[in-house]
Amino acid sequence: MAKITIENAVKKFGDFVAVNDVSLSIEDQEFVVLLGPSGCGKTTLLRAVAGLGLLDSGNIMIGDRDVTYLPPKDRSISMVFQSYAIFPHMKVFDNIAFGLRMQKVKKNVIRERVQRVSELLHIESMLDRYPSQMSGGQRQRIAVARALAIESKVLLMDEPLSNLDALLRLEMRAELKSLLAGLEATTIYVTHDQIEALSMGDRIAVMKDGEILQYDHPTRVYDTPSHHFVGGFIGNPPMNFVSVRVERHEGRYSARVDGFNIEADDNMSDALSRYDGKEVLLGIRAENMEASKTPLDGALAVEVKVIEPLGSQNLLTINTSQDTLKVSTHPDFFVDPGETIWLRFPANKIRWIDKDTGAAITPDIEKLRA
Amino acid sequence: MPYLLVLPTLLYLAIFFAYPMVSALQLAVQADVRYLNLRAEPDVTAERLPGTIAMQTVVDIIDRERGEEELASGRTRPIFWYLVEAQTVDEETVTGWVNQRNIFVESRTESVTGRINDGEPVTEWTTRHIRTMVNDFRFNSALRNTMLMIVIILPIQFVVAIIMALVLQAQPRGSTMFLYIFAIPLGISDLAAGLVWYSLFTQRGFINSFLVQMGILDSPFIFIASGQLGWILLAIVLAEVWRATSIVMVIVVSGLQAIPRDYLESGQVFGATLWQRIRYIVLPLLRPSLQVALILRTILAFQVFAVVIAISGGDVFTVLANETFRWYDRGDGGYNNPNVAAAYAGLIMIISLAISFFYLRAIRSQEETTG
Amino acid sequence: MLFLRKSLPPDQRWALFRNWVRRMGVYALAILISLWILLPIWLIATMAFSTRSNVRSFPKPFFPDPISTDTMQFFLNAEGILSSTGNSLIVAFATLALSTIIATPAGYAISRFVFRGRDAVRLGILSVRAFPIVILAVPLAVTFINLGIYDSLWSLALLHTALVLPTSVLVIASVFASVPYELEEAAQVFGCTPTMAFFRVVMPLTLPGIAAAGIFAFVTSWNEVFAAVLLTLTNRTLPAQILFSLDKASDPFKFAGGFFMLVPSIIFIFFIRRYLFSMWGQVTK
Repeated sequence: MAKITIENAVKKFGDFVAVNDVSLSIEDQEFVVLLGPSGCGKTTLLRAVAGLGLLDSGNIMIGDRDVTYLPPKDRSISMVFQSYAIFPHMKVFDNIAFGLRMQKVKKNVIRERVQRVSELLHIESMLDRYPSQMSGGQRQRIAVARALAIESKVLLMDEPLSNLDALLRLEMRAELKSLLAGLEATTIYVTHDQIEALSMGDRIAVMKDGEILQYDHPTRVYDTPSHHFVGGFIGNPPMNFVSVRVERHEGRYSARVDGFNIEADDNMSDALSRYDGKEVLLGIRAENMEASKTPLDGALAVEVKVIEPLGSQNLLTINTSQDTLKVSTHPDFFVDPGETIWLRFPANKIRWIDKDTGAAITPDIEKLRA
Repeated sequence: MPYLLVLPTLLYLAIFFAYPMVSALQLAVQADVRYLNLRAEPDVTAERLPGTIAMQTVVDIIDRERGEEELASGRTRPIFWYLVEAQTVDEETVTGWVNQRNIFVESRTESVTGRINDGEPVTEWTTRHIRTMVNDFRFNSALRNTMLMIVIILPIQFVVAIIMALVLQAQPRGSTMFLYIFAIPLGISDLAAGLVWYSLFTQRGFINSFLVQMGILDSPFIFIASGQLGWILLAIVLAEVWRATSIVMVIVVSGLQAIPRDYLESGQVFGATLWQRIRYIVLPLLRPSLQVALILRTILAFQVFAVVIAISGGDVFTVLANETFRWYDRGDGGYNNPNVAAAYAGLIMIISLAISFFYLRAIRSQEETTG
Repeated sequence: MLFLRKSLPPDQRWALFRNWVRRMGVYALAILISLWILLPIWLIATMAFSTRSNVRSFPKPFFPDPISTDTMQFFLNAEGILSSTGNSLIVAFATLALSTIIATPAGYAISRFVFRGRDAVRLGILSVRAFPIVILAVPLAVTFINLGIYDSLWSLALLHTALVLPTSVLVIASVFASVPYELEEAAQVFGCTPTMAFFRVVMPLTLPGIAAAGIFAFVTSWNEVFAAVLLTLTNRTLPAQILFSLDKASDPFKFAGGFFMLVPSIIFIFFIRRYLFSMWGQVTK
């Protein structure tokens, strides 16, 4: 059992606060991805869990044990480094066996375990070679094999795929996912690649400036970002944000943009009442807008600036008076730049964002239940 | 263009490294001597007879003849020719003519023997200088002391240098200051270092001052004296470790900086203790740096000279470089014999080259196995 | 000292304690090694600034009392010291100038151009760096005698230049390598000739590093004693003069002389400390 609990973790480097009062709870055998741009503190947090940099304050529990100040070797963790950190002076076998040797495991057990994990990663034919003769992808496999060999309760991965080229990364991503699914280890996986995070994680913790903005299942992080930043960071293209003014007509709230009203969902009424007459951001994903070449009821007429045929979709760039929108349409949807089209904003796909805090405006859950 | 820019350096190094190296070997195995060949007729243009005669050979005069020689001005002057019977360097007897410039006779007309005193300058190969060097009563102790110093100093230096480098690598507060302090000896000459340690080890020096003040000794102990080779060696070893460990330290620190931190951290994650990380990760990865430092230090150890003179005076304890100097020295204490000095220089060179070659081969064979 | 906190579980306190011990151990070692290096310097400095009677006294004081320039003055006024110091300065400056002039173009070429045999040139230069001067000095002395330039400060400077040249070239090459070639190209794009670009852009940026290489040459020449005693007879440099005076010299002379030779080294190392690693640490395979 290795539930990981981080409580109020703070880590500073001089004046720079790398991790700012972060609390995070990870279930046993769960796969959690720490996602964020570089410098957001995700790697620092991972290293704190590994014991490679002690926290300035806060606690880390692995299982029932408080490990805050323990050295890495007493934490029953293993790790895959971004640079792989495969020892160049040891053969592949010795690299994979390294952790086991340090634990003074019996020789025949070592041989058997190394054999097993190397078969798992399809590197069993390279055990006698030195890493210097190997490609990036093969080294990556060695790094993973070495981490799996010690069968620790916690597996930490620091951007393991970021040094691979795009095609290999795609391949390894799927392979790693199926491999890790069969493991019993609790995994923390750090990446700046939102697609990796969405495709692999049981849950994603999105970090920015040393804080966790949202910690949820991938689909919820994608569909209902809790923060302006999360919506903008995740998704390709990122979520569109439009500056709107909240107005109230006949008891219903709507967003006014360029003389047009976008109706809000009924359950938003209470939450939006505090913003009556104020500017907020309206967030909507490119694929959630309905585009039409003919006038539609309740649709905003806009002029197409750019059209980018991307094969699986045609991506339109559209300017409102203040903002730029990306609209994803079916590949058959052909328009010329300068043409006018009509956009509909489905109320249930809209995220409302407080312009000052960046936080999402959500219906009060208690009231909703009642 | 680039060739033009490196050319001066290469030329300079060729003149001041390649030429002296060859020249040192030449001086060591060559001697400038004069030999004489007798002539078939009493004439300077006559055919030379085979068989050379060494200088100072005593010869029997069989016959003599007064000839004339033409000067550059066109005038002539008389010159005596002697028919002599002489032993050649190969101990064969030859008979032939020699003129008065090449032979010393008591009387031009009366003497029946003479002594050859001039001849053609010839450079010949000889082992004489090497024999002189090897047979010199100081040679064995110089060689032994030099080797002993290397064997004792190098391991100490490497252990201390690695510790210094690891301390710096741990980056304690003020590590830039520590780096500067650790690097100070880089700029200290061996003469100054020798004098510094002389001040500690001399009879009325600091070590004795300390021991007597602490009441450990009643009167100063004489460390530096002819019977005290062990103490002299200790003083020299300490001075050399004090002075020359910094170079090794700098090389090791550079090597350490080239080891990615990830290697050490992954060692930590996979359970290696500090000692295991040093033993299984740091030292193996540091090996190229250590090997280069080893070559450098071994070769530089043959230059130890002023330290020895400053501490011991150079007579009670001697090393190869000191003997080189003694044989070259044209002053009171020296033998003024550049050839033997060159023999010592050549010996040092050959040992240095052999050591470098040995190390480099060792490195290469390791690289072949590690690929 | 977090490990003293009673609220923590014992295994954590133990881990923190070990961390603390390790950190303190590093400090202790750093201080110990510093003392090992500084203490002998302190002691000889004590002697150099004591009165001569204190220098001769036994047991010796570990602090200068009273502080006096008597011993230093005695040393500096000794026969041949001032003139040999002058000689040393001449040789050292000549070495500095000559090595910089020869090494700068070579360093530039090695760092900027990819040419056939560059690695061989690098390796060759690197490999002569360690060559014992003992080997070079004897045959060169004989050659200098034959050429009639023996006992000349300039011929000694020539030899010292050979001694520092390999290191100078490598240091200067690494200094040039630290200035991106794009800067030169940019200067050329904006109207400089290649020569102008070198002098207006590269030179100002590399001057400190080249100066460091020059200081290194100076210190090496200032310290060098073996070639100096072999190549000079009447025009002795300072180390040669001290070495030749040793067997007749009194302790005050030796201590003051040792200290006098030490001072420039300590100061110079301070100025070139940034370049230590490119100077002595280069281990190219």
